[in-house]
Amino acid sequence: MASLTLQGIGKRFGRVEALRRVDLEVSEGEFCVLLGPSGCGKSTLLAVIAGLVAPDQGSILFDGQAVDHLTPAERDVAMVFQSYALYPHMTVAENMGFGLRMRKVPKPEIRASVESAARLLGIEKLLDRKPRDLSGGQRQRVAMGRAIVRRPNLFLLDEPLSNLDARLRASVRLELKRLHQQVRGTVIYVTHDQVEAMTLGDRVVVMGEGCIHQVDTPERIYDRPQSTFVARFIGSPEMNLYQGRILHTNGGVCFRGQGFELDLGPAVIPEGDAELGVRPEDVQVAAEHASLSARVDLVNPAGSERIVHAFLGDERIAFSIPKDRRLEPGDQVQIAISPKKIHLFREGQRQEAPPA
Amino acid sequence: MLEKPKRGVSSVKSSHFRRRERIEKGVLRIVRITGTLGFLVLVLFPFYWMMVSSFKPLEEIMFHPANLGLDLHRIDFSAYREVLFEHGFAEYILNSAYVSLATVVLCLGLAIAGAYAATRLQFRGRSFMSYGILVIYMFPAIVLVVPLYVIFAKFGLRDSLHVLVLVYLAQTLPVALYMLRSYFRNLPLELEYAGLTDGCTRWGVIWRIVLPLSAPALATVALYAFMMAWNEFLFAFMFLDTPEKFTLSRGVVQLSESVHLSKQLVMAASVLVTLPILLLFLLFERHLVRGLTAGAVKG
Repeated sequence: MASLTLQGIGKRFGRVEALRRVDLEVSEGEFCVLLGPSGCGKSTLLAVIAGLVAPDQGSILFDGQAVDHLTPAERDVAMVFQSYALYPHMTVAENMGFGLRMRKVPKPEIRASVESAARLLGIEKLLDRKPRDLSGGQRQRVAMGRAIVRRPNLFLLDEPLSNLDARLRASVRLELKRLHQQVRGTVIYVTHDQVEAMTLGDRVVVMGEGCIHQVDTPERIYDRPQSTFVARFIGSPEMNLYQGRILHTNGGVCFRGQGFELDLGPAVIPEGDAELGVRPEDVQVAAEHASLSARVDLVNPAGSERIVHAFLGDERIAFSIPKDRRLEPGDQVQIAISPKKIHLFREGQRQEAPPA
Repeated sequence: MLEKPKRGVSSVKSSHFRRRERIEKGVLRIVRITGTLGFLVLVLFPFYWMMVSSFKPLEEIMFHPANLGLDLHRIDFSAYREVLFEHGFAEYILNSAYVSLATVVLCLGLAIAGAYAATRLQFRGRSFMSYGILVIYMFPAIVLVVPLYVIFAKFGLRDSLHVLVLVYLAQTLPVALYMLRSYFRNLPLELEYAGLTDGCTRWGVIWRIVLPLSAPALATVALYAFMMAWNEFLFAFMFLDTPEKFTLSRGVVQLSESVHLSKQLVMAASVLVTLPILLLFLLFERHLVRGLTAGAVKG
């Protein structure tokens, strides 16, 4: 188990800049999730940490010691791959013990470690089977087992759940969290699934286009996105975001968008171009002080609630309503947006609006 | 009212289609069987005649040249004894075995390293090498024979089995590289990453992960190299002068050209050339087919 420090990691593949100046601190025993759309460089970053891909610039430190010159074997990290990458010609037990065998651990010790890891994962009965005789979920467990057996400095997990079907994914996700509490290793977990990131991570690192956009707890990532990129990427349905201007009026401050105006009350915000965001669940429908009128376009059921897509001026807005509430396409509905619930961005970056 | 006749029409139609399908299938089967049989006769008859003739004494062949049958009580192994011990074929077998096995071992070793480097490692001139492999393969052997002859003659390297191995290596390596490379390329990269993080060196990854998974491709390449070296005649004919150094194919020609023309001896010698390849093929056949298709379909 070790802490991890990345200093200014950069990597190019031809013309594509996969990573640009990535700095990150992960403390010992932390479950850190790298979250981002596909192609944002998160898997590359994982390969760089493992030593499988050499970065063009920057430095990697385990426990404060530079490991840039070390081979993957010497770094002693364990990786779980999206495809599981189990060795097809070895049994489950051989797969799990392979890393220890390569490190010349005595055979009885390997057996004991493999068996205890198998017990932890509930795969004792599969030890003599070959990977091709296992189901997807079982293969995933074996891949996890192969990593746990090693007791490595770092666990690197590259979208380990994305090949499972939705139901299994939810249960394995819970199990993973429990497993982390038992094994207590430092985990770097790559995913593009925000639900996974939010439920698993002690901290979430949001990446896009080779850069880190925000490093924070899942709650703060959701509540206080630092950029429009994070705001758009986190949350489903997506946050409503509008281009417009902050204007000072005699009553206070207001935001003028395309075809609508929103009163922000007596806040201290300088005038100028800005982007305003509001999460669908923060839009109040038919409130007493409703100041905006929207025309319903579509109503989508989403289990416990319904998602309404509507026109607000020349823009579109999505918001949620309780499922027993009836709204039909074409209806006019009064909505209100509380100034406390809005997110303001200037040039893509979050602008804090302290209440006056 | 409208639906009933419709159903009737469709059932008539489907039975019509079924009958046609049956006829088509029957015709196809007949074509397939006759085709296979014809082909088998074409391939097996010369082989059969060769076997049968090798078991007959010379007079039998001379007096009844059209007799295709073989009297099982009169099988005669003397031709084999004569060929093996009087015409030096015991030695030729050893020579051929040496040349073929050496070619296989060297070819596999070099092709594994080369093909792996060309698929997985980044180095200067990598794409040039990839094209080079194919380009060399394009040259027919006959074009290379004269320059190679001149070169080896200049350096006094003719008339040596080792040099013959070198020549065969040059012949088999491009194909071996090409075949292994396309196979390696289809092995998932993540498997090798897993091996590296599990503590293997590059060589360890090749030895413990890549090679076991490539067994079918390796068998194919080995068999190809062995067959090429075992059957090769042109270079053996050009390069070898001393009868003690002859390979089998060279020996057969020597025998058939010799003055006392004994058909049964030539036939026995030919059987000795053919049999090992045949046995190898039957032994490896299953792996071979897998090796040829495994690259195409991800397993």
